[in-house]
Amino acid sequence: MLPVLQIGPLTLPTYPLSLLLAIWAALAAGEWAARRQGIAGDHIYNAGLYGIIAALVVARLAHVIIFWPAYRTQPLEIVGFNTRALIWWPGLVAALLVAGWYIHRHRLPWAKVADAGALGALVGITIACLGAFLAGRGLGAPTRLPWGISTWDVPRHPFQLYWMLATATTAGLVAWVLSRQKQPGAAALVALVGYGLALLLIEPARADSLTTTGGLRVAQLVGLAAVILALWRLRTRLKPSPDELPKSQ
Amino acid sequence: MTRNRYEVPRSTGRRVSVVQVRWTLLILLTLVLGLAWIWVNRVPSNSAFVPASQSPAPVIGYPAPDFVLTTLDGEEFRLSAQRGTPVVLNFWATWCPPCRAELPELRSVSERYAGQLAVVGVNQAESAATVAKSSPELGLTFPIPLDLQGDVSQVYGVRSLPTTFFIDRNGVIRQIQNGPLTEATLAQLLRTIFP
Repeated sequence: MLPVLQIGPLTLPTYPLSLLLAIWAALAAGEWAARRQGIAGDHIYNAGLYGIIAALVVARLAHVIIFWPAYRTQPLEIVGFNTRALIWWPGLVAALLVAGWYIHRHRLPWAKVADAGALGALVGITIACLGAFLAGRGLGAPTRLPWGISTWDVPRHPFQLYWMLATATTAGLVAWVLSRQKQPGAAALVALVGYGLALLLIEPARADSLTTTGGLRVAQLVGLAAVILALWRLRTRLKPSPDELPKSQ
Repeated sequence: MTRNRYEVPRSTGRRVSVVQVRWTLLILLTLVLGLAWIWVNRVPSNSAFVPASQSPAPVIGYPAPDFVLTTLDGEEFRLSAQRGTPVVLNFWATWCPPCRAELPELRSVSERYAGQLAVVGVNQAESAATVAKSSPELGLTFPIPLDLQGDVSQVYGVRSLPTTFFIDRNGVIRQIQNGPLTEATLAQLLRTIFP
């Protein structure tokens, strides 16, 4: 594990660094994919950056609203640099809304932007997973497999690396689909299938899963829903056009 | 008669492609297998479940490693003796400005929830005289166990100061904060161990 990078007197935490790198790589990959589809790459950078800014502002605002009694006595903390003081779900919704507004305002083709965004997201998640592994974030389930990594005297699944492999493979597949696709949106659906399958299959290798009623793992339920939704959308896209159909008697 | 990819069921007159039928079957199969996989891999109980055999580790969801240290007041402090009470276990040092900055928040919480919540400030590798000298200025009103050799800090994997562990009434670590706490983040993290 490499939780910090020691460069002379400078100590840099690995995980936040990997997140910054992941954001940059995600935008760069998205921009590349957009250009291949005839969309100006700047649009991807703009939509991504506006989304990130909106996410940070709304995530902090949500924290301020929920913990207002604490902020009332320390108002400067509202703009303080504290990565813990964020509520991520409202931030994520805000990011999607703002990015969506940008796409709508510039009349960009939704399906092609989704394809480019899917590739970017997968590249970003791949890098973030590597950072999580290096920083030792999360806890794998105990295993007797030879590649188990000893954590607190127990060999455990390096589930972050499983994730990294799964998302990198899916990113490769999505890039391949993008290079030869005829139907805009198909690459994004393939990405959703890959990501959903990763959630479904890899989550049991974690020891710290969020669970719901009956001990079911939330990530697996979300993953299965994503796979089914994406497969269903792919199925409807296979609907033959009237020209392809035989003439009925 | 040539075989076509698309067939026309006579009963409904609706055009259905063979490919679409196969996709539908694939989706149904995925759904069934996926649900079975989720069921097989369910966690025995809710997220608060901690097997008795689980070894202590400074990790979220694991029992906090026990330790015994002498406090600044010369009394013995044993973490396991706090069982039944949520614990905020803070690692700090007098030379650490962020640690000093968050002490008022910890003191405030300690006084507000006296008897319901234990705030403990483990001082890392400083002499009793050094800590005692700063005590009046810092207003230390909660127990300050002295980790003279840094052994407890090592067991807890403390890599930077301040670091704070939030331990529930069953002795299980629920959150870990690396870096200083503000009043807001302290309130947020307390929710994980204290109703």
